[in-house]
Amino acid sequence: MSTVLENLVNQPYQHGFVTAIEAETAPKGLNEDIIRLISSKKGEPEWLLEFRLKAYQHWLTMTPPQWANVQHTPVDFQAITYYAAPKQKKKLKSMDEVDPELLKTFEKLGVPMNERAALAGVAVDVIFDSVSVATTYKQKLADVGIIFCSISEAVREHPELVRKYLGSVVPVGDNYYAALNAAVFTDGSFCFIPKGVKCPMELSTYFRINTQDSGQFERTLIVAEDGASVSYLEGCTAPKFDTNQLHAAVVELVAMDNADIKYSTVQNWYAGDEKGVGGIYNFVTKRGLCRGVNSRISWTQVETGSAITWKYPSCVLRGDNSVGEFYSVALTNHYQQADTGTKMVHIGKNTGSTIVSKGISAGHSNNSYRGLVRIAPTASGARNYSQCDSMLIGQKCSANTFPYIDVRNPSGTVEHEATTSKIGEDQLFYFQSRGIGAEEAISMIINGFCKDVFQQLPMEFAVEATKLLGLKLEGSVG
Amino acid sequence: MTTVVDTPQWLATLRADGHALPQSPLAWLNERRAQALERANALSVPTTRDEEWRFTDLAPLRQFSLQRPPAARTITEADIALFNLPEAGARMVFVDGQFAPSLSHGVGALIGTSGGTSTGTSVSTLTDGLKSHGALLQQHLGVHAGFEQQVFPALNTAWLHGNNGALVVLGRNAVLEQPLHVLFVATQANIALCPRVLVVAESGAQGKLIEDYVSLTNGAYLANAVCEVSIAGNAEVHHVRLQRESLAATHIATTAVSLAKDARYRSQSVALGARLSRVNLDIRQAGEGADVELDGLALIGGEQVADTHSSVDHAFAHGRCRQMHKTIVGGAAHAVFNGKVLVREGAQLTNSAQQSRNLLVSPRARVDTKPQLEIFADDVKCAHGATVGQLDAEHLFYLKSRGLPEQQARNLLTYAFGAEVIQRIPVKSLVNRLQQTVLARVDAK
Repeated sequence: MSTVLENLVNQPYQHGFVTAIEAETAPKGLNEDIIRLISSKKGEPEWLLEFRLKAYQHWLTMTPPQWANVQHTPVDFQAITYYAAPKQKKKLKSMDEVDPELLKTFEKLGVPMNERAALAGVAVDVIFDSVSVATTYKQKLADVGIIFCSISEAVREHPELVRKYLGSVVPVGDNYYAALNAAVFTDGSFCFIPKGVKCPMELSTYFRINTQDSGQFERTLIVAEDGASVSYLEGCTAPKFDTNQLHAAVVELVAMDNADIKYSTVQNWYAGDEKGVGGIYNFVTKRGLCRGVNSRISWTQVETGSAITWKYPSCVLRGDNSVGEFYSVALTNHYQQADTGTKMVHIGKNTGSTIVSKGISAGHSNNSYRGLVRIAPTASGARNYSQCDSMLIGQKCSANTFPYIDVRNPSGTVEHEATTSKIGEDQLFYFQSRGIGAEEAISMIINGFCKDVFQQLPMEFAVEATKLLGLKLEGSVG
Repeated sequence: MTTVVDTPQWLATLRADGHALPQSPLAWLNERRAQALERANALSVPTTRDEEWRFTDLAPLRQFSLQRPPAARTITEADIALFNLPEAGARMVFVDGQFAPSLSHGVGALIGTSGGTSTGTSVSTLTDGLKSHGALLQQHLGVHAGFEQQVFPALNTAWLHGNNGALVVLGRNAVLEQPLHVLFVATQANIALCPRVLVVAESGAQGKLIEDYVSLTNGAYLANAVCEVSIAGNAEVHHVRLQRESLAATHIATTAVSLAKDARYRSQSVALGARLSRVNLDIRQAGEGADVELDGLALIGGEQVADTHSSVDHAFAHGRCRQMHKTIVGGAAHAVFNGKVLVREGAQLTNSAQQSRNLLVSPRARVDTKPQLEIFADDVKCAHGATVGQLDAEHLFYLKSRGLPEQQARNLLTYAFGAEVIQRIPVKSLVNRLQQTVLARVDAK
C-alpha cells in the first residue's frame, strides 16, 4: 500500500516553467501612493480610486484572521509587488501580434486560444499576470448582448455597471484579504448577462501567476439579469517558485430573478515541494448573492494546488425560492493545508441549499471542511442538505470538519452528515483480483468517491479534474 | 483569546472567598487550590468573542449579585420528597452547598456490594474522603477537570472545601447494584454554589450514579459544578446527570471523564431547568478499547438557553463512542451543541458516531449545532450527523389517520422524540417521573 502512495505523493509539479517576458513592475510595498499608481496606470475614474483608498484605510484597521485551521509564517505585505504588467508597446490588433513567448506558454498549458478555442467552444479571457492580453469570442458574445471582458476594460467601457455592482456582494471591509484585494486589485474578469439571455457557450478564464513575488489580486464580477444564465469556468496553474506567493482574489456573483449562475474552478497552483517549501497562499473570498426570486447559484470546485487554501465560496439566498449549491473536492498532499467550505445564508422563503464536500488528505497534509448553514428567522420553509466526506491516505495527515449550523426558523429542515474513511484493503483486493493494478484501482476509487462533485463539472473540466486527481496521487499506493 | 473586560461583582467576591477559605492540613490540597485560585484570578468571564462561548452570552450573569451562601436553610424530608428515588442504595443531599446528613442515608457504609474490595467501596463527603482516601484523592481530585484555561472549574477548585462535595469510591471488582443518588438542592436566591463530585472506579468495578441538581426557590443563583470520573481498566460507570434548576438560575458544569483500557462509560444527561445552562463534557480515552455512550436531552422553552459542549478524545486504538444529543426547543429558547470528536495519531480502528438532533417547536426558537471532527489516524470509522427541523409531516399524518387530533399527535411525537434518551436511564422511578415531566411540558406548549 505505502509505496504506491509514496510514488503518488512524489509527483513533480508539471506546470513549473517561467516565461521570460519583461514585466513592468511597481516598487515593492503597499501604501496610498502605490494604490494611486495602480489606479493611474489603469486610467481609472475617481470613484474607483476612492473605493480603493476606502478599502485600504479599512484594511489598515484590520488584523489577519487567525481562526482558520492553518499555520503559516505571517505574510509580509510590504515585500509584495502589487503591480506587474507585461510591457505593451502598442495596442494589439490581432493574435499574431501577441508575444510569441506568451503564446507558447498558453500552448504548454493547453489553452485553446485560436481555432482550438472555436473547436472547444470556449471563449477565453486570458489573464497573464495582471493584465488581459487577448480576448476571444467577444464578438459572438456581443451579438447576444453579453459583456465579457477584463474588469479594467469594463471600468472604461461600462463604468455605470461596474460601479453599481462592485463591492455589492463582498463589501470593501468584508474581511482582511477582501479589503486588501479591494485596495489593490489589478485585473480580473467582468461578465454581464442581460435579461433573458442564455449564454451560448461556457465562459472561461485561465489565471496564471508569472512574475516572481507578485501577488495576484484578481477581481471577478458576474452579473446575471432576470432570466439570464451562464456557466463560468476558472482554471489555475502557476509556475514553480520557492518563495510563497500570496493570492487574494475576490469573486462576486449577482443573480437576479430566475437567473442561474454556475461557477466552476479547477485550482492546481504550485503547492510547494515534498518538504512543504514554497507554494501559493490562496486566500480567496467568493460569494454569490441570489437577489431575485427563483435564482440559482452553483459553486463547483476542485482544489488540488496551493500550499494553503483559505476559501469559502458562499451563497446568500435572499430571493424567495432561490437555490444555492456547493460541490467541492479538496485534495491535499505533502504539507499542504486546506481550510475550505461554504456558507449558505438562507434569508428568503423556501430557499434551498445543497453542500457536497469531499476531502482527501495524503502525506503530512491537513484538510479541513468549515461550513456555515444559517436559516434566518425570515426564511420559512428553508431546506439544507450537507454531506462532507473525508478520506485519509497515510497516517501523518489529518481531516477535520467544522460545520456550523444556526437555525432560527422552525419550518426549516437542515441535515448534515459527515463520514471519514480510508481505502479499504478489501476494495483494493477486489480490484486486483479482477486484474486492475493497485494504482489504477486507487484512482478509480477516488474518482468514485468524488463522483457527486465531478458530475457537476462541465465536460472538459470533468476530464481534466479526473486526470488531475490521478496525477496528484500517482504512486501513493503500493 | 479571552478578552479582558470589567470583572463582575460576583467574580470578585468568589475570588475573595477563595482566598478566605481556611487552609487544609493537607499540603497538596492547599497547593492545588492555590493554583486554581491563581488561574481564577488571571482568567475572566468568557464573552461571545471566545469561540467556545460564541453562541452563549453570559452577559446576564454579569448583572447578578452573588454571595457565598449564608448558613444553610434547614429543610425537611418533605421538601425534597419529590426528588426521592426509592431504588437508591445511598443518598447524599447537599443544601446550598453544605452536606445535610439528616437528609442523607447509606453514607460511608459499604452498600449492597459483591466482590472483594481493596480500598473499600464507600460514599462520603470529600471532607471524610480526605481522611480515609487521602492518597486516592491526591491522585484524582482536580486532576481530570483541567482549570488552566477555564475560569469556572478554576473557581470551583479554588473553593474546594470538602463539605460541598461527594466522593464515590468503587473498590476493585465491586459491583454496585443500586444506584447512588447525589442531590444538590438550592434554596436561596443570589448565592453562588460550587458543587463537586469525584467518582473513582477501580478495575473491574461497576456502579451507577445519579447526579441531580434541583431547586426549592424561583430565584436567580449560580451553580458552578464540577464532576470528575476516573474509570480504571475494565470498570464501568453509568452516570445520569439531571439538571432541574430554577428557571432563573445559571448552571455551569464541567464533567471530566477519564477511561483506562477496556473501561466503559454510559451517560444520560437531561437538562430541563435554568435560565442559562452550560455543560462541558470532556471524555478522554486514556487506554485501548474504551467504550463510551453519551446521550443528551435538553427540553427548554421561554427564554432558556441550554448549551452542551462535548469533547471526546480518542487517544488510543480500538476506542468506541456513540453519542446522541437531542434538543426540543420551544418559546424563544436557544439550544447550543458543540460536539468535538478528536482521533489522535495512532488511535487506529476507532469507531465514533455522533448524532445531533434538534426539534424546533416554536417560531422563535433557535438552534446552533456544530458537530466537529478532527482526525489524525487513517484507519478509523467516524461519522456525525446533525438535523434541525420540525416534526415529520408523514408521522403526523399517520397518527391523524388513526384518529388522533392534531395537537395530540404533535405532543405524542414530541414526547417520543425525547423519550428515546430518557428510556436509557437505568432507574425505573426516574424514567417514569421524567416521562411525566416531559409529557407535561410538551402539553403545556
